Amino acid sequence: MRVLALLGLAFFGCEDAQPEVEGPDPATISEADRYGGTVVVGGLGEIQTMNGFLSRDYMTDQVQANVLFMTLLRYDADLEPRPYLARSWEVSPDSNEIVFELRTDVRWHDGEPTTAHDVAFTFNRVKDPAVPFPNRSSFDNWEMAEVLGPHSIRLTLRPNADYLHGWAALPIMPRHILEDTAPEDLATHPFGTSEPVGNGPFRFAEHLPGDRWIFEANPAFPAELGGRPYVDRLAYRVIPNETTLFAELRSGGVDMYVRLAPEFADEVLEDPDLRLAAYPFPNYSFIAWNSQRAFFADPIVRRALTIAIDRQEIVDVVRHGLGTPAVGPIGSWHWAYDSAWQPLPHSPDSAAALLELAGWTDSDEDGIREKDGRVFSFEISTNESRERGSIAELVQHYLAEIGVDARPRIVEHQTLIADVTSPERRFDAFLLSWSQGLVLDERDQWACDRIGRPLQFTSYCNPELDPVLDSIPRATDRAVQAVLLRRYGEMIAADQPFTFLYVEKRADALRDRLQGAEPDFRGELADVRSWWLFRP
Amino acid sequence: MVAFPTLIRYALRRVVEAVPILLGIVTLIFLLLHLAPGDPATAYFNPNVSPEIIDRMRENLGLDRPLHEQYLKWLRSFFTGDFGYSFSQHRPVSDVLRDALPNTLYLSVVSLLLIFAVGCAVGTVQAVRQYSASDNIITFVSLFVYSMPGFWLGLMLILAFSSPAMPEALRLPISGVTSIDYEFMGPLQRLVDRVRHLVLPSFALGIASAAGVARYMRGSMLEVISQDYVRTARAKGLSERQVILKHAVRNALIPIVSLLGLYLPVLFGGSVVIEVVFSWPGMGRALYNAILARDYPVVMAASFIFGALVVVANLLADLLYAVVDPRIRASETAR
Repeated sequence: MRVLALLGLAFFGCEDAQPEVEGPDPATISEADRYGGTVVVGGLGEIQTMNGFLSRDYMTDQVQANVLFMTLLRYDADLEPRPYLARSWEVSPDSNEIVFELRTDVRWHDGEPTTAHDVAFTFNRVKDPAVPFPNRSSFDNWEMAEVLGPHSIRLTLRPNADYLHGWAALPIMPRHILEDTAPEDLATHPFGTSEPVGNGPFRFAEHLPGDRWIFEANPAFPAELGGRPYVDRLAYRVIPNETTLFAELRSGGVDMYVRLAPEFADEVLEDPDLRLAAYPFPNYSFIAWNSQRAFFADPIVRRALTIAIDRQEIVDVVRHGLGTPAVGPIGSWHWAYDSAWQPLPHSPDSAAALLELAGWTDSDEDGIREKDGRVFSFEISTNESRERGSIAELVQHYLAEIGVDARPRIVEHQTLIADVTSPERRFDAFLLSWSQGLVLDERDQWACDRIGRPLQFTSYCNPELDPVLDSIPRATDRAVQAVLLRRYGEMIAADQPFTFLYVEKRADALRDRLQGAEPDFRGELADVRSWWLFRP
Repeated sequence: MVAFPTLIRYALRRVVEAVPILLGIVTLIFLLLHLAPGDPATAYFNPNVSPEIIDRMRENLGLDRPLHEQYLKWLRSFFTGDFGYSFSQHRPVSDVLRDALPNTLYLSVVSLLLIFAVGCAVGTVQAVRQYSASDNIITFVSLFVYSMPGFWLGLMLILAFSSPAMPEALRLPISGVTSIDYEFMGPLQRLVDRVRHLVLPSFALGIASAAGVARYMRGSMLEVISQDYVRTARAKGLSERQVILKHAVRNALIPIVSLLGLYLPVLFGGSVVIEVVFSWPGMGRALYNAILARDYPVVMAASFIFGALVVVANLLADLLYAVVDPRIRASETAR
């Protein structure tokens, strides 16, 4: 775990190594002595429900998939699928069918066995349009489930690459509890908030809304999967203020602060009782240019704006190093990322030259360029986050240097979303971040025929790109898909409908006593079963 | 005794008068909420959610209906005691209120006691020692405290009490209502645990208002002390202690009682911020989160409850006023 702290140091590229703490070494603690204690995870956001059909945010997904419930399979660090509730699976030669063999030793926490009927029930509800399941698109290619035996199920699908990813994120729900509830009433069933029954390594103990969830170790968790977790209890506390949450971490009230606010990163590195885990995360920050506005219709102008912005400095100043300048829509965390890709350089001089080329000149010498009587002056909208506010101000400063007047406009988040997703596109430019998954089917964002739909923010259209976008989800082979994805990434990077600012590095701060926790982009809780508390 | 039924009639009249006020409040909030851009379905904003699902949600939530229809529907169920269903918390609004309201009331009542106890005591001491060094120092300190924003004071307290420099014996919990191992505690330990969690948030919430009350109390006391009956009390040989506590303070308290109605809305407003800073799972935070999530039913119910509490507090203040001041009773009887 020192390694992680050192990695953290490497990200900040500096500072002396932390002094070695005197005392017993955690490595000397025997397996049998690792059991016991309560681990407290603290986060800013609430976890509203344990109902897997309603899940809608990152921490909720994680608790459901890793703590209370089980998924059919999970990804390892190389993003290869590994058995979990499913012991094994077999794909038919034409990739149209897949048979999952389930473990026979998994029981719901109320004692009922987990069977193929639970999987079929979950799948059928996920496909049912009456259930407000937000990730239904992950199962677009899956068609039908057929129970072959108590622990065997066959599913039919349309062949595509990474077809298993939906199952790695979908917690299997208990049929015997939810079956009698009408699909449209599943959302209001008290199961999710006050009486969830799972089958994962932890079982439900208590939920105090707005305060905490408490889970306790499941002694019946299959030994082959590691058996009972080391810790007795796992608590998730919501502490909505960053300063309070950090104070709780420092004073020992919280063992892990998930998604650390970047301004605390330096303090974590200096504190001998804390360590930092930082890793690339599938989320990038961007500025969207509304191509319906005369300023932003020309790709040359958009490129000029991008190279005028010092993206590395934004990462250093605003993110305290927790990020990497982005190349395009595909980040380095994804397998299709090409390591030869380079972000556009930062060069105000070339930016100014490009603007001259595009006909934007400062003919009246007031410091702001104009063209055909139009002054290059516009608003960058963003929401009331401190981080985004700072970025918008930096961008204003960079663009002023090349004679472009960009005025930050800070609006409440919902208002901003309503503005940018409306068909009228009530914005000039906006600054937000975009979360991605393993499967990059991003037609909604870029395809010409999606203009007017909510996610086609910029009204960008490149007829040459459309066939590429269409063929990505149809490619069944990673090698083929990689070629298409790279083509897509390069075409978007060339046209710059967005200025891609940086790919987030997510950071978590952990107290030293929490052992066995190695967060990565699969989530903080992926290895929660093997966490233990070092109590010398 | 003619006064008591009169008092009840007065209270009833006030309650009846409160109905249109509360109705006005909820109607205004309903309109403002729907004027704000976005709705619960857009709060679901997530690239994986297709527009069709969003439209379907809108339909399920009845958001595709005309505004007046939505309003009437809400009003009807509201009057039958059905507060609706929280879109963001996935449970009935009545459950949300059941969990959050006691926490807020408990915090507010303790803060209110703190405000008046500390405020009156400090104000009295200052008045008795008018223009002394201690009076001047307290005046300075209370003006300083009065102008301090609650959230800033809260954060400073959190930083101070979580600092490694703070001796273990003086440590206090900086967030939440109870400790994480609360369920394993005995009854006495539980009580102590709750009280310890209450100290910092109630202090941060109430101290500025306490400084305000102290200013009022000082003024009120000074006025009373110069009255003839106080001189009479002194002249008949009562000890200074008896004069101040028995004669002066009681009368000086009369105008202070009316502050109760003034400070309760301040407390509820402040609780929104304090509950976020101290991670206190109360109504203020529920309301704040509901506004961000456009969770209309929770916003409506919470605003109604806050409105009703303020109306009740004002009524209580007026009634108390009548109880402590016989002259008010007399004038009501005369009407």
